[in-house]
Amino acid sequence: MMQQILTVGFLSAFLSAAVRMAVPLAYAGLGETISEKCGILNIGMEGVMLSGAFFSFAGTFFSGSILVGLLCGMAGGAAVSMLHGVLSIRLSKDQSVSGIAINIFILGVTSFLYKLMSGGQSYQQIEPLIKLRIPLLADIPLIGNALFNQDILTYLIYFLVMGVSFFYKKTNTGLSFASIGESPRAADSAGIPVYRYQYISMVLNGVLGGIGGAYLVLVQVGNFSENMTSGRGYIALAAVILGRYLPFGMLGAAFLFGSANALQIRLQAVGVPLPSQALSMLPYLITLAALLGSAHKNHGPESLGKPYVRGAR
Amino acid sequence: MNHMKKWKAIEVTEIAFLSIAMAAILILLSGADPLTAGRMFFNGIFGNASGFGEVFVKATPLILTGLGCSVAFRTGFFNIGAEGQFYIGALASAWVALNATGVPGVFRIILAIGCGFLFGGLWALIAAILKAKLGISEIICTIMLNYISMNLLGIAVRTFLMDPAGSIPQSEKIDASVTLLRFLKPTRVHTGIFIALGAVFFVWFLMEKTTSGYEFKAVGFNKRAAACSGISVVKNIILSAVLSGGLAGIAGAVEVLGVQKKLLEGISGGCGYTAILITLLAFNHPGGVLLVSVLFAALEVGANSMQRQMGVPSAIVDFLIGFIVLLILGRELLTGKMRAKEGK
Repeated sequence: MMQQILTVGFLSAFLSAAVRMAVPLAYAGLGETISEKCGILNIGMEGVMLSGAFFSFAGTFFSGSILVGLLCGMAGGAAVSMLHGVLSIRLSKDQSVSGIAINIFILGVTSFLYKLMSGGQSYQQIEPLIKLRIPLLADIPLIGNALFNQDILTYLIYFLVMGVSFFYKKTNTGLSFASIGESPRAADSAGIPVYRYQYISMVLNGVLGGIGGAYLVLVQVGNFSENMTSGRGYIALAAVILGRYLPFGMLGAAFLFGSANALQIRLQAVGVPLPSQALSMLPYLITLAALLGSAHKNHGPESLGKPYVRGAR
Repeated sequence: MNHMKKWKAIEVTEIAFLSIAMAAILILLSGADPLTAGRMFFNGIFGNASGFGEVFVKATPLILTGLGCSVAFRTGFFNIGAEGQFYIGALASAWVALNATGVPGVFRIILAIGCGFLFGGLWALIAAILKAKLGISEIICTIMLNYISMNLLGIAVRTFLMDPAGSIPQSEKIDASVTLLRFLKPTRVHTGIFIALGAVFFVWFLMEKTTSGYEFKAVGFNKRAAACSGISVVKNIILSAVLSGGLAGIAGAVEVLGVQKKLLEGISGGCGYTAILITLLAFNHPGGVLLVSVLFAALEVGANSMQRQMGVPSAIVDFLIGFIVLLILGRELLTGKMRAKEGK
């Protein structure tokens, strides 16, 4: 068994799968980082991803174009985030309550719409996104395939993480956005349009979370199934915490959780003599264990999850 | 005060109207005629005794898990883990019912339900300790524990609890002497409904009439103020989480012993998540949980009948109940009372 696992073939396939499993978490995590920097805790990320997954599938299925599907997924994600945005920014609702309610609601919505769409019919499959192989670099042993033989969305996430990190660290606007999460009142006094920035953050949160969900459909599976995100939205929340609310930290955490998922998939593929359920719970166990590492260390924005009401004390 | 009540009445009417309109739209989308579907809906609930009884069969686990959630929510512990606690309770009680053969009938039922409570509570304790002692988000923890327990149950029904005579991943049938009595034949209504009703009274009494209930609410309302007046935040969060998980565990036990009579995958039917919405709709009040659970169960029975007769997907219920909860959350948008706290 160990000989089977410690081969270049296994490791290379494992790393490839790890990247593929990490990308949706990284998109969702990046979206969540943006909203949390602005003080909005979007527990509804699971719903955002599920909506992105469903609408990207429906869009691609009916239009025949992956690009249209991706745009539908982004719109579907943004719609859910805006719902959370309106409830938590405009109506100052408890963000945990709103997020959980949204998640369960979206689970019902997507299940219902999917049943209508499939109408009890058999399997519906779409053509997944093609891989773009970068010559030479993809031939590097072990990591070449994982890093340089992927789809366009995977390459894009690296640049997005860099961009977001640069935005918050090096630009004035980025600092203004981040100051809202720390102290919305101070930000407001300094003339920063708090609510507008929060809404912008929520749209970005939804678009990125939507891409994360769409990735599951357009790259990983090629079809939709009920509750297909199965907790990934929450794992993305954990990735943000573990990554100490930094885009690169979040990316690292997403890779950790992605590897846990890839490991269980590869181990099932080589036929480890364990019930498949024992392996399936691995990503969730590792997420739980990783959260232990964040105990007592709160790196989150000071006013995260607290509604800001202008003029209230 | 009178003015407030008037506003509320308008809100209730608006929410009811919008929900019914949404239901009609969804039924039209599924290609059915709303009026006929509506008739099928009520026919499913009131058409015959077994349909009407089914409302209470489905309401029983919802009441128990909903009560569990309400206790935890009021203490400020956002327990999203009722689903997992339900699974673990079902697993523990099925194991006892199948293996504690030395214990005679009724006592084994009590033992099985007790173990459902105990293990459901212990499962919640994990998240409670992480939250109360280490400050880790209980929302993420309980969700992770839900998926872990789902897989644990999957392992159990494939290994040590698998029916040796069958090849399907489920346990063997529990002996009839250890199952809950169906006292209203031909309906499937079983004595578990009395356990649920007892739990409603217990939770109401605990929350409204005892010091522990007061301490729970105090912690939920304001942790710092509670701590300053000598109420232990850690202790109360842990206690309420264990009680909450225990109630969900009883729900699992009752479902095993009263309805399925064996352990199988997906036994909860998502009731742990539904319970969260029920609790939110009931504003955490035990009586409200009872009422909303019965209404929700009726919705489900009616929707199943619509699905059988007209092909309207029964997922319409999950859609609608989520829609109603969001309408209630966003009700100020309907009445134009936005950001009510402004300038306070």
